[in-house]
Amino acid sequence: MHRIITGIARTLAIVGGAVLVTLIALTCLSVVGRILNSVGHSDFVKTTLPVAGDFFKAFGPINGDYELVEAGIALAIFLFLPWCQLNRKHATVELLTPIFPKMFNRLLSLLWETVFALAILLITWRLSIGMSDKMRYGETTFLLQMPVWWAFAACTIAGFFASLVAVYCVYQRVVERTKGDPALPGSGGMDV
Amino acid sequence: MTDLQLGIASLPILLLLIFLRMPIGLAMLVVGLGGTAWVSGGSLVVLAKLKSETYSTFSSYSLSIVPLFLLMGQFATLGGMSTSLFKAAESWLGHRKGGVAMAAVGACAGFGSICGSSLATAATMGQVAMPELKRYGYSGGLSTATLAAGGTLGILIPPSVVLVIYAILTEQNIAKLFLAAFIPGFLAALGYMITISIYMRLSPGNAQVRPRVAYRQRLAALVEVWPVLLVFFLVVGGIYLGWFTPTEAAAIGAAGTGIIALINGGLTRQSFTDSILATASNSAMIFIIILGAGFFNAFLALTQVPQEISQFVTAQGFSPWVILLIILALYLIFGCVMDSLSMILLTIPIFFPIISVLDFGLTAEETAIWFGILVLIVVEVGLITPPVGMNLFVINAMDRSTRIIDTYKSVLPFVASDIVRTGLLVAFPGITLFLLRWVY
Repeated sequence: MHRIITGIARTLAIVGGAVLVTLIALTCLSVVGRILNSVGHSDFVKTTLPVAGDFFKAFGPINGDYELVEAGIALAIFLFLPWCQLNRKHATVELLTPIFPKMFNRLLSLLWETVFALAILLITWRLSIGMSDKMRYGETTFLLQMPVWWAFAACTIAGFFASLVAVYCVYQRVVERTKGDPALPGSGGMDV
Repeated sequence: MTDLQLGIASLPILLLLIFLRMPIGLAMLVVGLGGTAWVSGGSLVVLAKLKSETYSTFSSYSLSIVPLFLLMGQFATLGGMSTSLFKAAESWLGHRKGGVAMAAVGACAGFGSICGSSLATAATMGQVAMPELKRYGYSGGLSTATLAAGGTLGILIPPSVVLVIYAILTEQNIAKLFLAAFIPGFLAALGYMITISIYMRLSPGNAQVRPRVAYRQRLAALVEVWPVLLVFFLVVGGIYLGWFTPTEAAAIGAAGTGIIALINGGLTRQSFTDSILATASNSAMIFIIILGAGFFNAFLALTQVPQEISQFVTAQGFSPWVILLIILALYLIFGCVMDSLSMILLTIPIFFPIISVLDFGLTAEETAIWFGILVLIVVEVGLITPPVGMNLFVINAMDRSTRIIDTYKSVLPFVASDIVRTGLLVAFPGITLFLLRWVY
């Protein structure tokens, strides 16, 4: 079971990475297109080399690139969430951990893990309701006229997996408590 | 209980939960949502808000810069750029007393110009510089302390993830904040080098100096760092010249460092996957904190706590400078136990309204930018302050022969240098704002 869950979380994170890399490529192409286009429109090129000007003017920024970046990043973050959850990478203050008794620490871990899972379930549930709202109103993005619910749907699917992994994390803590397995990776506050 | 009382009570409750090891983002989320439900008299508002708020936070165009900068930093660690930076710095500084340690600081500053993260800078430069420092007989404590302090330059010298978050929270211009961070970043590097120089004179130990290198070779070593300069110019220069938006610049930077890593052979299938996974967990962690902070700050705004606190503070008639110093001291203390990003997201919504109504003889924008740089610096001091400075742990873990207590002892002069510099920047806001006033 652990291997399956780890596999899912890892795969989702890598898919999220692929989305991120795609957005990077898209943004770079869009910037290059925009720069070439403005070269074509510059007075210098227009007067000295009109043919080249027309050639450059054929380029341009990718239509709606910002909209794609926004939707893509949101999806990537949802896809990244399970990996973060499973590895306990959420920022936490561990100042008092060495002072608390071992049992108390484990109890706290179990408690917060449960609250976290509930929060992710709540977020995913509301996201799916938000999706059906967007679907009903037929809301679309400004430039691409892309239905907004598409992005919501993709995020909801990722959110479903995030919920699954979060619930599994609670299960891990329960097992840890009953069997007294070696402690799971403690969450460390990460400074960026 | 009035809304205001509830808002004020939420602050100690939140801190209690955080110290009881509740993940920081989750704690802000729960308290924010719970408080909003209480004030609005039911779960209706909260449930309605949750339908779109998560998506709109995660899809914010200005926040999309965060994962891109994180990935750029990950790729930068693979590119072999750290080695060429250190070699260049070593050829210029190595023959001085404490020169190899100074070179490590210089190389950290250079690496900071393409990496927005302190830990990544400290860890990457540590791998390159630690063996050299050992070879030239530097004591373990000074070596680890130098690299831990040098690492903080990663976040001070633009690009910087924390400055991006500050800019978004306070609605300031990212390009202007980056510009303002330059001189303080340069002063930090200089201060660390002076610290090393004094340290070496007081307790020379058995550190040796390298032979002097001819200028021809120095220039040749400098030419080797051109990929770093190119990426830096594209990213920071491009933002500042208005060629691209900050998000576009971050995408170009990630592509640039990725391509350099690929050419240098640092980007394999394995290291690419590792970069993606590290970016994944850090991005998710940061966005969960941002999401929680969004709900918590919305709740605070609903209860009018920030306005009331700032009115209360100004009504006391303290000098603005005293208030500023108290706030900075609080950051210094909290920085010892909390990570920089959570601290900024937690406190800026409360402290910023206070600062923005105080009169320091600056324009509103100048005050905001100056305060941002000051906060960034004191927060970074927390990274190298014993007992829980994260940079100290990261570097100490790389050198098994050095006890953590030696690192603690040796880092104190660097902390002192940070405090002196903070004092200078507080006393003379013109240092921070010089470039800004000159350019704009």
